[in-house]
Amino acid sequence: MDWVRIFLTRCAAIFRRKKLDAELDEELRAHIDLAIAENIERGLSAEEARTTALRDFGGITQTREAYRIQRGLPWLEQIVRDVRFAARQLRKSPGFTLTAILTLTLGLGANIAIFSLLNALLLRPLPVPHADQLAVLYINGASADGQPNYSFNAPLFRALEKHHDAFQSVAGFEVDRFQVRGSSGYMPVSGSLVSGQFFETLQGRPLLGRALTPADDQPHGGSTGFAAVITEGLWQSWFHRDPHVLGRTLIIAGAPFTVVGVMPKSFIGADPIHPAAIYVPLWAEPVVNAPYNNIANGYSSWWISVIARRNPGVSLEWANASLQATTRSLLDESQAPPRWIKEAQAHRFVLVAEPGSKGFTYLRMTFAKPLYVVSALCAAMLLLACLNLASLLMARAAARERELATRLAMGATRRRLVQQLLVEGLLIALIGTAAGALAAPVVSRALVSAFVAQSSGYMAAVVDTSLDTRVLLFVASAAIASTLLIGLVPALRATSRNLNEQIKSGVQTVFTRQHRRWLPRLLMSVQVALALILVIGAGLLATSLTRLYGKDLGLDAKSVADISLDLAQQHIKGDALLRWYRAYDEAVLHQPGVHAASLAFLTPLGNRAWSDAFSAAPNGAKYELYTNEISPDYFATLRIPFLAGRDFAWNDTAATGNKIVLNRTAVRIFFPGANAIGQTMYDGKTPYQVIGVVGDAVYASIHRAPPAQVYFPITQDSDLSPYIFAVIRYQGSPTALADAARHLAVKMLPEIPAPVMTTMSGDIDNWLGSERMMAMLAVFFAACALLVTAIGLYGTLAYTTARRTSEIGIRIALGAQRRQVVVMVFRENAWVALCGSLLGLAIALFAARALASFLYGVSARDPWVLISSVAVLALIASAASLIPAIRAARIEPITALRAE
Amino acid sequence: MGENKSDVLQGTLDLMVLKTLESMGALHGYGIARRIEQVSGNTLSLNQGTIYPALLRLEQRGWIKAEWGLSETNRRAKFYSLSRTGRRQIERETENWERVAATIARFLISPR
Repeated sequence: MDWVRIFLTRCAAIFRRKKLDAELDEELRAHIDLAIAENIERGLSAEEARTTALRDFGGITQTREAYRIQRGLPWLEQIVRDVRFAARQLRKSPGFTLTAILTLTLGLGANIAIFSLLNALLLRPLPVPHADQLAVLYINGASADGQPNYSFNAPLFRALEKHHDAFQSVAGFEVDRFQVRGSSGYMPVSGSLVSGQFFETLQGRPLLGRALTPADDQPHGGSTGFAAVITEGLWQSWFHRDPHVLGRTLIIAGAPFTVVGVMPKSFIGADPIHPAAIYVPLWAEPVVNAPYNNIANGYSSWWISVIARRNPGVSLEWANASLQATTRSLLDESQAPPRWIKEAQAHRFVLVAEPGSKGFTYLRMTFAKPLYVVSALCAAMLLLACLNLASLLMARAAARERELATRLAMGATRRRLVQQLLVEGLLIALIGTAAGALAAPVVSRALVSAFVAQSSGYMAAVVDTSLDTRVLLFVASAAIASTLLIGLVPALRATSRNLNEQIKSGVQTVFTRQHRRWLPRLLMSVQVALALILVIGAGLLATSLTRLYGKDLGLDAKSVADISLDLAQQHIKGDALLRWYRAYDEAVLHQPGVHAASLAFLTPLGNRAWSDAFSAAPNGAKYELYTNEISPDYFATLRIPFLAGRDFAWNDTAATGNKIVLNRTAVRIFFPGANAIGQTMYDGKTPYQVIGVVGDAVYASIHRAPPAQVYFPITQDSDLSPYIFAVIRYQGSPTALADAARHLAVKMLPEIPAPVMTTMSGDIDNWLGSERMMAMLAVFFAACALLVTAIGLYGTLAYTTARRTSEIGIRIALGAQRRQVVVMVFRENAWVALCGSLLGLAIALFAARALASFLYGVSARDPWVLISSVAVLALIASAASLIPAIRAARIEPITALRAE
Repeated sequence: MGENKSDVLQGTLDLMVLKTLESMGALHGYGIARRIEQVSGNTLSLNQGTIYPALLRLEQRGWIKAEWGLSETNRRAKFYSLSRTGRRQIERETENWERVAATIARFLISPR
């Protein structure tokens, strides 16, 4: 360990240099004094004694230098010196330093933030042993639009669970919100329904008790009813880490579950974004989800996500081949309807496994594409920032040419000078990276709360954007790359020049300089091109977003709120339930600020659909219509225009005959060219009379055109749903309305779970979440890019113009007009801007197809967007170039020449 | 005078310093330099200054310690003395040196 000790003492020496130097001098003086004294004793004269002493000693300066080298770390001291020098240089020009650091902070901060998000949503593996063995299963050919289907139905999953040759274990799960009875009524807790092999698949070891096993996942639970496993978080907050929690009972949706185990905090299940606090067996679904029953629905309910663990040594290809071979027998065993079996015979319906080390979350599908687009924008922004800094530093280095040349002439090696300039770049990069890394978590948290959290709907999303090794690696490599880019190029260039030429030509390098300036010009042109691409991209995405927001939904979504009521646990049914609904509707209507109120089974943007097949004659050709069940005044509340006939009334009861209202599209299909009012339609043999026709309104999704729709009155439903929405048009604060609505509900039914309110404009924001994220970030990046480019154009031109002061002075002295000077200086940047714009336009046109899939209602080559982007860029570039040009024209020849 | 003087081999100076301190006790730089000259019988061309980096090297390794004190002529000077590890080190260094010397000696006396 000798070298450690030596290294440490040497390091320590660096910081006590002055004191140690003084000590050495003192010691050497003592040596000479002692030598002189001895020489005198031997009989030499004072003069001779001194000369002899010095001669015997050898060179004092050499000794001192050798001693210092032995004492400290010369290379480290050199770097420390370089850092000091660089810091002094940067302090001397605070404007440059600040812009440089800000530019880098912006570029790096945005990149780190986006990468953290990308990491959390798309890249980070599940914290389970051997995550690389996991696979996510999906079905090809199950949905009409050709998209892979990641949801399985219960019979198919149960068949798969039994026959999983290629896999060690196969697990199904669904994340959901459970209503759990706490000390003060029911509380929503995020939970997960999991199949028997779930914990085996994820190899989760419980902290306490045991995990759920196949023996727990039985139709009525194990021998002691349904079991549940809770997480450490819930154990802490609900049970205060009571070690006797095992065996306690949790009431979920009115049914008892026995706690059999506690999972540690590190276990987050298979959905990394929606960690559950309670795990219950998949067979408990009808209990937890009452009154619905996805298991009983068989092949018409697709709701289970499937994750599996491969046997060690089994490749994904082999697993897939095996899955494909067994698909048919799985369908047979699960008694699939003939339709699916036919599809499977034609090899259109097939089970597929993909790498599943990152688990499965549906959020990934929503955000993968926009996040990749945004990362591309980010990378372009970072590249632009680095190019900009490189050209600024290059301009600075050019201004220091003479200084550098002089130092080369005095014997400094090129290595030393490059090292010094590199240290300057490194300093900027380090500060910029540090600032960026500090700002990034704030940005990514803001992004998460603005976009991701809302889009996940009723389940609370937990996006862990904390810095992990992956992010740190990314940051480090970004910092190193940017340092090299912004430091090395200018440094090599500045020191590469012929020494003699430098000294000889001095400041008047004007004329020889022109042909050497291609590199900075190229850099600036590429910057302009990048900026133009970012501006065009932002313009297109923003235009697309405004078109989306301006889309005609067929209803007035402003100032409309939906309140979701859940009476599933209230034991009110039939007429009593209808009476409660009507009373609630009327009570809400009397709240201050409420203009209209009604009830509906589905909300227009609620992402849930219900369909029913109708025919124009009994047992005639069927046509699938999308349905909703509503109370009177629903159309008036949403301002869906009435085209003919009348609205439902509260006295349209079952006794008065089945009544329906159609939308325009449905009328066009069933009664083209005829008056629909009074006509009869059939659902099987049941007749329905059309009493009204309304305009087309958006249904379930904002991205789909309104389909053919039929509306039923809630007053005629014999099996009324305990889940319903109150749809309210209001004025004023939505929070006040939410409070009032909640208060009313609890007053009328104390046991009711707190109703959840959403506003329709909030729904629209959620639907357009990823589009909004893309557009807003694109605009942000474009603005930054414009700013950075403007700074770059201004900075480089100002530097080069400053160096041409004497030349311009001579020109003016020789009779050049000020206007000519302005044009001459301005022209330099005009060329750069022109070349850059052409390059950017070419790339933008070329890349248009890549962006087209993200755009709505605007072409990727929209001429208006292209023209206005170029115009904006030209304006900014002109403004940035005009200032140095005008300043150049103000040069007084006398002062310029005198400065020579 | 300088014809038959030899330069000091790197490393041998360290051992000379250590041995000097072992036999003389605490000594200042000048004293060490003089002692080495005397013992070697003036056959070494030693620039006295070169012992200072050597002293520092030994001090960094923890083999010797330094302290300010007063010389016989009442001059303030830095005195060096062996540390405990230094004492142990002398044996090892001596062995090393003897091995090298013996090897060289074998070359010198070996018959052609």
